Amino acid sequence: MDSALIPNGVRRCSLGKFLVPLAVVGAVLLWGVYAMLLCWFKGLNQTNMNDNYGFALWIWADLAVIALGGGAFFTGFLKYLIGKDELKHIINYAVLIGFICYSSALLILAIDIGQPLRGWFIFWHANVHSMLTEVAFCLSCYFMVLTIEYIPLILENRQIDKVPFFHHLSHNMHGTMAVFAATGAFLSFFHQGSLGGVAGVLFGRPFAYREGLFIWPWTFFLFTWSAAAYGPCFTLLVTRITEAVTGKKLVKDNVVELLAKISGWMMTTYIIAKIIDTLYWANVTAPSKGFNLIDFYSNNGFYGIWILVMEIILGGIVPAAILITDKGRKSPVVRTVAFVLAVIGVSVNRWVMVLQVMAVPVMPFDQWALYYPSWQEVATTILPVAYGIILIMISYRYLPIFPQEAELNPAE
Amino acid sequence: MKIDRRSFLSLGIGVAAGTALSPLPWKLTDDLSIWTQNWPWTPVPEIGETSHVNSVCTLCPGGCGISVRKIEGRGVKIEGMTGHPVNQGGICALGLSGLQLLYGPTRIKTPLRRIGKRGEDRWEKISWEQAISEIAEKLDVLRTSGNSHTIAGIAGSRQGTVSQLFKRFLTAYGSPNFFHTPSCVDTYQLAFQYMNGVSGAPGFDLENADVILSFGSGLLDGWGSPVRMFKANTAWRKANAHVIQIEPRLSRTAAKADRWIAINPGTEAALALGVSHVLIKELLFDKEFVDSHTDGFESFVTSKGEMKKGFRQTVLENYSPETVARITGIDPSAIILLAREFAKAKAPLALCGKGQGIIPGSLAEAMAVHALNALVGSVNRKGGVFPMPETEIQVWHEVAMDSVAAVGINQTNLIGAPPNSPCGTNQIPAAILSGKGYPLNALFVLESNPLYTMADSKTVRDAFDKIPFLVSLSSFMDETARYADIVLPNHIYLERIEDAPAPTGFPKPVISLSKPVFKPQFNTKHAGDTLILLAKEMGGAVADAFPWDNFEACLEEVMGDKMKTLQEKGFWVDSDAAIPDWKAAFKTPSGKFQFSPAEATLGFVPVAIEGDSTFPLLLIPYETMRMAGGYIANPPFMTKTVEDTILKLNDSFIEINPKTAQSNQLSEGDFVVVQTSRGQARGRVHLEEGIMPGVIALPRGLGHTAYDGYIANKGINANQLIGPVQDPVSGLDAAWGIRAKLSKA
Amino acid sequence: MKQEHGGNGTRKYGMVIDLDLCTGCGSCMVACMAENNVPFREDETDKLKSITWMRVYKLTNGKPYPETDICYLPRPCQHCEGSHGHSPCVSVCPATATDYDSQTGIVSQIYTRCFGCRYCMAACPYHARYFNWYDPIWPEGMEKYLNPNVSPRMRGVVEKCSFCFHRYQAAKDKAYLDGQKEIEEDAYQTACTQACPAGAITFGDLDNPDHAVHKLKKQPGAFRLLERLGTNTKVYYVSSREWVRRAGDNYLKTEGPKKVV
Ligand SMILES: Nc1nc2c(c(=O)[nH]1)N[C@H]1C(S)=C(S)[C@@H](COP(=O)(O)OP(=O)(O)OC[C@H]3O[C@@H](n4cnc5c(=O)[nH]c(N)nc54)[C@H](O)[C@@H]3O)O[C@H]1N2
Ligand SMILES: Nc1nc2c(c(=O)[nH]1)N[C@H]1C(S)=C(S)[C@@H](COP(=O)(O)OP(=O)(O)OC[C@H]3O[C@@H](n4cnc5c(=O)[nH]c(N)nc54)[C@H](O)[C@@H]3O)O[C@H]1N2
Ligand code: SF4
Ligand code: SF4
Ligand code: SF4
Ligand code: SF4
Ligand code: SF4
Ligand SMILES: [Mo]
Repeated sequence: MDSALIPNGVRRCSLGKFLVPLAVVGAVLLWGVYAMLLCWFKGLNQTNMNDNYGFALWIWADLAVIALGGGAFFTGFLKYLIGKDELKHIINYAVLIGFICYSSALLILAIDIGQPLRGWFIFWHANVHSMLTEVAFCLSCYFMVLTIEYIPLILENRQIDKVPFFHHLSHNMHGTMAVFAATGAFLSFFHQGSLGGVAGVLFGRPFAYREGLFIWPWTFFLFTWSAAAYGPCFTLLVTRITEAVTGKKLVKDNVVELLAKISGWMMTTYIIAKIIDTLYWANVTAPSKGFNLIDFYSNNGFYGIWILVMEIILGGIVPAAILITDKGRKSPVVRTVAFVLAVIGVSVNRWVMVLQVMAVPVMPFDQWALYYPSWQEVATTILPVAYGIILIMISYRYLPIFPQEAELNPAE
Repeated sequence: MKIDRRSFLSLGIGVAAGTALSPLPWKLTDDLSIWTQNWPWTPVPEIGETSHVNSVCTLCPGGCGISVRKIEGRGVKIEGMTGHPVNQGGICALGLSGLQLLYGPTRIKTPLRRIGKRGEDRWEKISWEQAISEIAEKLDVLRTSGNSHTIAGIAGSRQGTVSQLFKRFLTAYGSPNFFHTPSCVDTYQLAFQYMNGVSGAPGFDLENADVILSFGSGLLDGWGSPVRMFKANTAWRKANAHVIQIEPRLSRTAAKADRWIAINPGTEAALALGVSHVLIKELLFDKEFVDSHTDGFESFVTSKGEMKKGFRQTVLENYSPETVARITGIDPSAIILLAREFAKAKAPLALCGKGQGIIPGSLAEAMAVHALNALVGSVNRKGGVFPMPETEIQVWHEVAMDSVAAVGINQTNLIGAPPNSPCGTNQIPAAILSGKGYPLNALFVLESNPLYTMADSKTVRDAFDKIPFLVSLSSFMDETARYADIVLPNHIYLERIEDAPAPTGFPKPVISLSKPVFKPQFNTKHAGDTLILLAKEMGGAVADAFPWDNFEACLEEVMGDKMKTLQEKGFWVDSDAAIPDWKAAFKTPSGKFQFSPAEATLGFVPVAIEGDSTFPLLLIPYETMRMAGGYIANPPFMTKTVEDTILKLNDSFIEINPKTAQSNQLSEGDFVVVQTSRGQARGRVHLEEGIMPGVIALPRGLGHTAYDGYIANKGINANQLIGPVQDPVSGLDAAWGIRAKLSKA
Repeated sequence: MKQEHGGNGTRKYGMVIDLDLCTGCGSCMVACMAENNVPFREDETDKLKSITWMRVYKLTNGKPYPETDICYLPRPCQHCEGSHGHSPCVSVCPATATDYDSQTGIVSQIYTRCFGCRYCMAACPYHARYFNWYDPIWPEGMEKYLNPNVSPRMRGVVEKCSFCFHRYQAAKDKAYLDGQKEIEEDAYQTACTQACPAGAITFGDLDNPDHAVHKLKKQPGAFRLLERLGTNTKVYYVSSREWVRRAGDNYLKTEGPKKVV
């Protein structure tokens, strides 16, 4: 029925088979939308956040998603600026995933703030000292860049492409994409960094506070670095999932391995830096404020020292080690394990840097603040996931996302 | 023009771009944000001319001067009045919350008659005329049938003109049953009567004392006049005075004291005698005072020729530190040190009356503590304790009783005591339920809430069920008002003129004047006016006893020449008042302080606490400054200050020592049922090191069932778990606790 | 000496709270609520969602019965100066909805500017900031007592102690009308200071030698909360008890607060 819209040379399932899962995910999306509306109309009392724990589940999701969406800028950076041309076979998907991640991030921010209708004050009454101002500006600009990067993809749809204007527009946009990729990389560098700075500058919170360089705390650099290192892993993981779901090979191994290798080395250097940062923080910064490292990891089970082990060893050293070795990288199973661990690792890092900060008491007579999300928060956090899946489903079906698909899956 | 796909798209893009460039979206965005800044449901307080009106707070017997800030006609803030002799500008959390009571939703807005079952809270509005004539009719029937003595009144206050007017109404009508809520003053008065031979409430010159030995008095927990006590505490700190607090629980007072001595509850009298023992044994007492101004120190022969042991011998024989240590659980050496410190002070002062002093308490304890003061000469001197001379303020003309009244007033009262013995309030429910005396046909309750504040709430309710006619003159829909047949809503203190008598323990004669700061918010009436109207409606001799047009006229007459000062300054203080000379101070037969009065023997007489060995724990209710526990229920502001280790959601926490918790297999936050011989309640446990193992504690002020959602059905009413206990010596209520048990719920 | 405060007319308002005097009575908390139109709800037992610009903490020494001790610690906003006015919260607010006033040293909060991102709350280690999770609703009739000098806040914004800034404005206006250059010490006092029946709170210009706080802050036993973080607060505490002073900051085992002689 919709065959006129499907790209040339590839096979897609029947519309019926496509619509059923779409409806299921759509239902989840609606559930999320309902929760979102509750938050907007009734206020944030719909969440289980509180005055001590003012950032919660979805802010973590926001940060995680931005880190994971980092695959877009870094892949773009590698392709357009470093000249790793093979990556053109995966850059479309990286851009799409990035677009989903960043639009989700903005949506979450719009739900998270207590006065969504005043959200634009962040631009109008901007405070240049605030990391969040930097985040807001760079995030919005980068989202525009991603949109610009995503548009030509849409224009490549068989029907739209037939309109000469769009055909030329798409062509020209492709031509100038290097400029946008460069802009995107630059903006990403800053907003990833300023997201890291959000926690790192909190000198009232010794758990988060990291000294740094000029106006930037170390977390500024660590966040950018980790997004560059881990983002591609997420792109590769989602690609792998897409392949599993569609039952097709979509990107050639050499492309995957190249990106995995770069990611592995980035991760290796990152984790070394992270370990140095952790050691400095644990041995110098924290004690200077009267804290032992272990004070930050209570015995309440949830915020135990296991988190540090999980983040650095399981989610850092292990996947890095796998990806920088030929053997690990070449085994589809082992490298997928590495992707999963990496995604977990960077997600834990974002949780720790934003949420554990809220939990740790600073005044000696203060208490640990614990929190569990309300269903509205869970639904609102799942909302972007559902939205992402839908966007991927539709994009995959109607747009030539994977340039190698036709070659890898020749029509009979 | 043909609309093809291309021109359609161009048009679309054009429109979008045009709109974006027009001011419309920007204006809309701005307007939306402005709307969020002025949501119609967020109130905008009106501005206007500011003024300040001085008055007095009567939300507790503290009697603080207040200054009410008004904007046009509305009150926006209550502050302490600078220059008031009692509170000197200070104010407590309850006083600060007064406007929430004035404007709050629990005010009763008009007279009400019950239409549902008792306590069901279904009412019809009636007019004042209707209400008054209906009540007068009922009373008339009782009176003409010779049953005038079968009505009773419970007042929230022992003194003050409204209270006196209430009593006068009962007298003129022919009832001997005027009662008021009890207090430790009742017991102190007896001790003074016996040992000083003088009546009067105690004045404690605390500000001038330098070692203060408090036998469980909640000096910083609302005892006496709470704000005065905070000021005194600060003065003590600055003057390096020493406060020693003796009680089984680390109360606010104990925490702020220089020393907290944990004692087995109920054994305070023994400790006072033990300290006396050391003072006498080590010759540390004030020999000169004892020699020249006291009697009964040495053993003597009575007029009947019997040998009577003096204070010295009694104490030396029976209250050695070792003996006292066994009773109180305090080390003998600590007792000796305590005695030496007390003796060394220039102006030592001991006092008792547990918590806020809302229970009369043990007479033996009051006497032992009073004797201790006498031993160091701290009686009737600066920095000491003395009975306050009666301030002759109220000039009432005699009630001319008609024959009905004359018969009625001479009956014994409900509890079988002489007419107008006010302090048996706690025995009323038992008297009614026992069916021994005469039945009670009507009860009037003025500014008190016995269904909540009296011990053993269930019994109180059962007793009230037997009273066919219940009238409440409350301002709030409290438990008792809700149970009443007719409610005659009173103005609240900010709407009425009234005298506020000297607060408990205050060592200077002072009267303050409460003024109508605001016009009445609702269709309420001053209780004084209500009583006058009712008397007039009754006619005859009852009406004749109330010749005034209204309460204000009555007050003016009663206050006489003090009224002018009261109107001008807001308070009257007898600045000439001096500590009475020895002759005026002691009016015993010997004209001296009496250590061994004939009426009661000094000694440790334990108050038997209810419950047998199946109740292994001791439950003590306590008072706190963050909760109003009496007639006034907690306003929302105050409840907000209550810690979440006392109340969480709707559950009260029962304070328990971790050791006790462990032996009962309980941990922090566990749900439990606390059970006593009087009742049981569900709550949670809070582990606190500052309470004696084996003792558990509950605050007063929670567990209301009436009022509004801001206070109703939150936590446990401690009063429902305890029962009244009569002091073996005075017969007054001395229930400081009850045996209890805990089980996991 | 006068130059310290006089010259450019800048002041540094602050408090000295004597913990030996504070009885934890709660007057300051209620005075603040009444003065500043702080909203309340039927259930206020979730202290993590209960707005109390002034909160009195109960500290314990942790020793077993009967060695147990308690200290009450009132905590308004500490009006941190940080270094050069970069208080933890001010420097992070993206919309400049909270600001450090260099004329008074007061950290302001503009409710109509705040868009509720709560970043400032994350930054404040004292939990002095409160978010309006709910619409503020006064039971019918009670809105009559609202103070017109302090605007009620709307849902979704952050609020906190302002050192009763409206009282400063009133005092400044009055001084101007009276032709005075200086605001007298007693012309500007906060609601909590005024209410405290124990006289535990002293408020004034920390830099002005004529104001009581100037001397009181130098008492032996004076300390600030979390001094080591560099928040540079303007609320000083005084206690004669070492365990209390120790509870005012974090110390490694080998360290401790300065000894008081
Ligand atoms: N900070 C602070 N201080 C306060 C208060 C406050 O709210 N906050 N409350 C103030 C108020 S309103 C008052 S009235 C005073 C308390 O002063 P009181 O005049 O004594 O009044 P109540 O608290 O109403 O009740 C007295 C108590 O006595 C007992 N009682 C009363 N009648 C009976 C009876 O018939 N039988 C028995 N067994 N017991 C009886 C009950 O245990 C009851 O709790 O404290 C005042 N002090
Ligand atoms: N208008 C108004 N008034 C109230 C309240 C209210 O809500 N509104 N609350 C009421 C409540 S709940 C209570 S419990 C009361 C308690 O109010 P009161 O009963 O007035 O106060 P107490 O503290 O019991 O006693 C106060 C003083 O009374 C004096 N006194 C005691 N006995 C005698 C005596 O025999 N003769 C003389 N001359 N003086 C004596 C002593 O000076 C003592 O210090 O306060 C009440 N007052
Ligand atoms: S102590 Fe009593 S009289 Fe004084 S302000 Fe408080 S409630 Fe009112
Ligand atoms: S009002 Fe004063 S004494 Fe009471 S809690 Fe506040 S600071 Fe402490
Ligand atoms: S105490 Fe908190 S809110 Fe107040 S100035 Fe300091 S960081 Fe800001
Ligand atoms: S919540 Fe309001 S005051 Fe706080 S940082 Fe965000 S915008 Fe600024
Ligand atoms: S200074 Fe004012 S705003 Fe701050 S806590 Fe005190 S009363 Fe509240
Ligand atoms: Mo009362």
